[in-house]
Amino acid sequence: MRLAPRPRKNLLFWLGVIVFLLSMSLWSARGIGFSLTELVCNLTDGSRLLRESWPPDLAFLARLVDPMLETVFIAVVGTVVGGIFAIPVAVLAARNLTPNRLTWFADRNFMNILRTLPDLFWAMLFATAVGFGPVAGALALTVFTVAVISKLYSESLESIDMGLPEAIRAVGGSWLQMIQFGALPQALQHYVSYALYAFELNIRASVVLGLVGAGGIGMILETQRANFEYERVTMIILAVLVAVLMIEEVSESIRKRLT
Amino acid sequence: MTQQTPSPAGAIQFRNASITYPNGAIGMKNLDLQIEPGEFVVIVGSSGAGKSTLLRAVNGLNALTEGTVAIDGETVATHSSRDLRRMRKRIGMIFQDFRLVKRLSVMSNVLIGRLAHVPGWRAMLNLWPLPDREIAIDALMRVGITDKAWVKASQLSGGQQQRVGIARALAQQPSIILADEPVASLDPVTTHQIMKDLVRINRELGITTLVNLHFLDLAREYGDRLIGLRFGELVFDGSAKTVTDEDFRNIYGRDFTESDLLEDSA
Amino acid sequence: MSSHSDLLRQPGPPIGFATIVTFVIALMFIVSMFAIGFTPGQMAEVPAGVARVLSFFWPVDMAYGWDRVLPAIVESIQIAWIGTIIAALLSLPLALFGARTLFPRVARVVKLISATARAFPEILLAIYFVPIVGLGPFAGALAIGISSVGMLTKLGAEVVDSLDFGTVEAVEAAGGSRILALRWAVLPQVLPEIIAHWLFRFELNIRASAVLGVVGAGGVGGVLLNVVLAIDMISGEIRRRIIRS
Repeated sequence: MRLAPRPRKNLLFWLGVIVFLLSMSLWSARGIGFSLTELVCNLTDGSRLLRESWPPDLAFLARLVDPMLETVFIAVVGTVVGGIFAIPVAVLAARNLTPNRLTWFADRNFMNILRTLPDLFWAMLFATAVGFGPVAGALALTVFTVAVISKLYSESLESIDMGLPEAIRAVGGSWLQMIQFGALPQALQHYVSYALYAFELNIRASVVLGLVGAGGIGMILETQRANFEYERVTMIILAVLVAVLMIEEVSESIRKRLT
Repeated sequence: MTQQTPSPAGAIQFRNASITYPNGAIGMKNLDLQIEPGEFVVIVGSSGAGKSTLLRAVNGLNALTEGTVAIDGETVATHSSRDLRRMRKRIGMIFQDFRLVKRLSVMSNVLIGRLAHVPGWRAMLNLWPLPDREIAIDALMRVGITDKAWVKASQLSGGQQQRVGIARALAQQPSIILADEPVASLDPVTTHQIMKDLVRINRELGITTLVNLHFLDLAREYGDRLIGLRFGELVFDGSAKTVTDEDFRNIYGRDFTESDLLEDSA
Repeated sequence: MSSHSDLLRQPGPPIGFATIVTFVIALMFIVSMFAIGFTPGQMAEVPAGVARVLSFFWPVDMAYGWDRVLPAIVESIQIAWIGTIIAALLSLPLALFGARTLFPRVARVVKLISATARAFPEILLAIYFVPIVGLGPFAGALAIGISSVGMLTKLGAEVVDSLDFGTVEAVEAAGGSRILALRWAVLPQVLPEIIAHWLFRFELNIRASAVLGVVGAGGVGGVLLNVVLAIDMISGEIRRRIIRS
């Protein structure tokens, strides 16, 4: 058979990758005390909690309407404000669009700091600054949204075709015009789907934020859990599930219409 | 070179076959057609005339809504996926847009033609039996791109990609090859090379070959038998060598223009 | 990305629909601002309040010591790693079978599973795991793993659904089953993007594990930042390589 032998150069590379993944997993598993036997043997112990969680307390639903709405309101404000602020942050962090290296470097680090600090930190920060309640939650989600969208969007912007922006520059357009007409529209579809993704994340994040007193359905969740009312906890989770499913349906249909 | 075992026969028979799409469009209308083993058939017609529909009915990608299509006397059973897979095993298909998995090597793409011939677990784990690998290499040899075997499909030119597409079909050791506008995305020079490849393979291996073509001059040059479709109906069935301009006018329902000829539109 | 002449030829989104969506969003935004009781006066307080809170974090309490901070960071990386591995292993098959175009009926079940996993906040999931494996990092890893399964399944299924299914048809035309089409036509095309999502998720999970209370001290912030910076660089590099290849 006259056929060049299969190149083997990648073999060593892949072997290295596999060894790295395995050793990292073994090291981590040992570090956190991962044990399948423990998980399987004690599975029945967990069933007590699950039995207490079922059936969901349907009567509790009536008291969930207002907090649920508040959660949605918090998420809307956080997504809209954060979504707007994310655009300049993303543009300056895109290697191909940023005016100079210094701006790029500073913005990139700013983005990283935003993403490093957990959403709960922002919630506590703003709760201390403006008092417990939904406004603190909305502010925290604003920062969280900027963190999520700017990173994803700047990556999309880096992969756009530079022909159009360069053409705008070539005919004497300003930097701002280049961004506005040459760069942003190309990644618009990505932006829309990231914004919708951030909204979905925010709905769930605002549940968590409620746990530290930033308003919404999470506050109810925390009080019921603290009182061991697990049937009510299940009800709350179901309510969140329905909300998440509905929002996904809507955002998917919007995405489909816009693309 | 290992011997391509010539699969026996490869006769296709449509009987009163019709396809109406869910949106009411007619893809095929009362088609009666007999194609003999080893024939090289060119199918022409304006776009939407049902050329693709006809090819895709042969391997069950489009299901008939009426009538039957049979291969070597066995009806194509679109309702049983197991039977359908068994029949498709012997029917190679070549696409206008090549349909290669771009991130995989040429060799892997050709081996996709062996998927139905090897045990499922072997195909899942990328453990191809030696005979099947040899069949794949043999298929690559027939289209003359063995030197590209370990190159990623995405790095090939259009003509090379279509050759891989042909090799993938050949790796099936088919009795029938369906080529759906195989040269529509290629430049004129490559177009002639690919058409010559298809004719040569038809002659060498006796594989029944059905080719959809848009260009009339290509149909004349390479076809043996020519079939003309219009609105899903058979309007011409005869020799490609003796077909007249008048016949083409009938098939297309209009005077043909320069855009229907490869040489003039290029 | 296609060449820009292609982009110019692409029809833009229907203007009517986009305008309506923008209007509805603006309306929702205004309603929400009123509903949560937002006042400009509050905004004036924000800078001072933030400054006050940030002052709690400064100066860094060096006496707290690296010997206590570092193990905590190592542990949160380990938790995130195991959580991400669990999520990756479980979500890959779910994502493949969650593609609507290929498996319309199974996809609906997968979608429900993934939405359920995402409806539980991580902290609550951890609480459910505590009776089983006890309080500690293991429970945290399981919680992070399960909640990541939901998101990774969703994102993965979206990647699969955005595929060009021509190659799937090519495999099926060659007599391959749909499962084999997943293996040979779908998987090679989607794996790079799916791995990119895994990396992104790993990064998120490091922070999530910090939230889970494993790393709680104020002094950790700076170290954690370096870790995230490093992973950001590495994952960016890997992503570029994968996508280029």
